Amino acid sequence: MYNITEDEKDVLQELMNVAYGSATAVVAEMLEAFATLSIPNIQVMQVNELLQTFESLKNKSYYFSTQAFAGEFSGESAFFIDTTSAKNLAKHLEVESDEDLDDAILELTNVLTSTLTTKLAEEMDTEVSFSLPNIFHVPLAEIAGVKTFQSYSQVIVIDTQLIFENQKINGEIFILTKDESIQWLKQKLNYILDQMI
Amino acid sequence: MKYLVTDDSKLARLSLIKSLKTLTGEAEIFQATNGVEAIKIMEDEKVDVVFLDLTMPVMDGYEALPKLLELNNKVKVVVVSADVQTQAKNKVIALGAQLHVQKPINIDKMQEILEII
Repeated sequence: MYNITEDEKDVLQELMNVAYGSATAVVAEMLEAFATLSIPNIQVMQVNELLQTFESLKNKSYYFSTQAFAGEFSGESAFFIDTTSAKNLAKHLEVESDEDLDDAILELTNVLTSTLTTKLAEEMDTEVSFSLPNIFHVPLAEIAGVKTFQSYSQVIVIDTQLIFENQKINGEIFILTKDESIQWLKQKLNYILDQMI
Repeated sequence: MKYLVTDDSKLARLSLIKSLKTLTGEAEIFQATNGVEAIKIMEDEKVDVVFLDLTMPVMDGYEALPKLLELNNKVKVVVVSADVQTQAKNKVIALGAQLHVQKPINIDKMQEILEII
C-alpha cells in the first residue's frame, strides 16, 4: 500500500497546476471563454474507491471519456462533463444535433487531456505516448467495465475541475497513475523538491 | 530590499526563493501561503516587492492584490501564475500588478523580472 507524503502531494499539485494552466488556456482559446482555475485535489485510492467515485458522477453526467498514456509515467486520464454543462456548451458553440455536440466534446477532451498529460510529463522530464484509439467515449453505463481500470490496484488520483463560469460549463478531469509508475512518480517528486533545497 | 513570496505551494515558494537568493544575495524574504497571511505580513513589514500566486486557498491572489496595494501603494506586485489566459493577465494588470509572469520561475525569468521592476 502506497502512501503519498505531504511534500510529494505539494509538488504534484504544483506541477499539475502549471500543466493545467497551459491546457486550460488552449481550451479557453478554443471556446473563446475564460476559465477559472482551481486547486487540484490529490489522493491515493484503491480501484474500487475510484469506481465508486465514478459511479456517483455517472448519474449527473452526459459524457465520459478516457485516454490512456504510456511511458515511465503511465496511466489514464478520464473526463466527465455533466448534462447541464453539455447543454450550455451546445448553446455556446451553437451546435444543434447531439452528434455534433458529442464531436465537440470529444475534441475538447482530446485537447484538454493530451495537453495536460504531455505538459505534466514534460515537467517531470519524461515523455508519454498516447495509444490508439487516442481517446474514446465510454457509455456511462459501462464505466465499471472499462478494461484498463481493471489493470490497476491502486491509483494516485489527480482530480481537477474545468470551470467556465460565465457559460456555466463544468467538467471534472482525473489523471490516474498506474501501479508500476507510482514508485517512479514518488522518486521523481522527491528529486524535484530536493533540487530546490 | 524586502520581498514577500505568496504561494500555497512549498515547491513554488522554494524555487522562487532559490532564484531570488542567487541573484540578490542576502535579501530579506518573507513567505505567505495565502492572501490573508500576505496581508498580515504587509501590516508589520515595509515590503518592496510581492510575488503573488493567483490560485490559493483562504484568499486568492485576485482578492489579495488590491488589499495589498491599499496597505502600501508603493509596493511592486509581480503575479506569478499558471493561468496564462489573456483575460487573467489583463485582470491583474488592471488591478495594479506590475507584471504577470508564467510559472514556473527559474533563474532566467527572475533575472528578467528584477530588471523590469
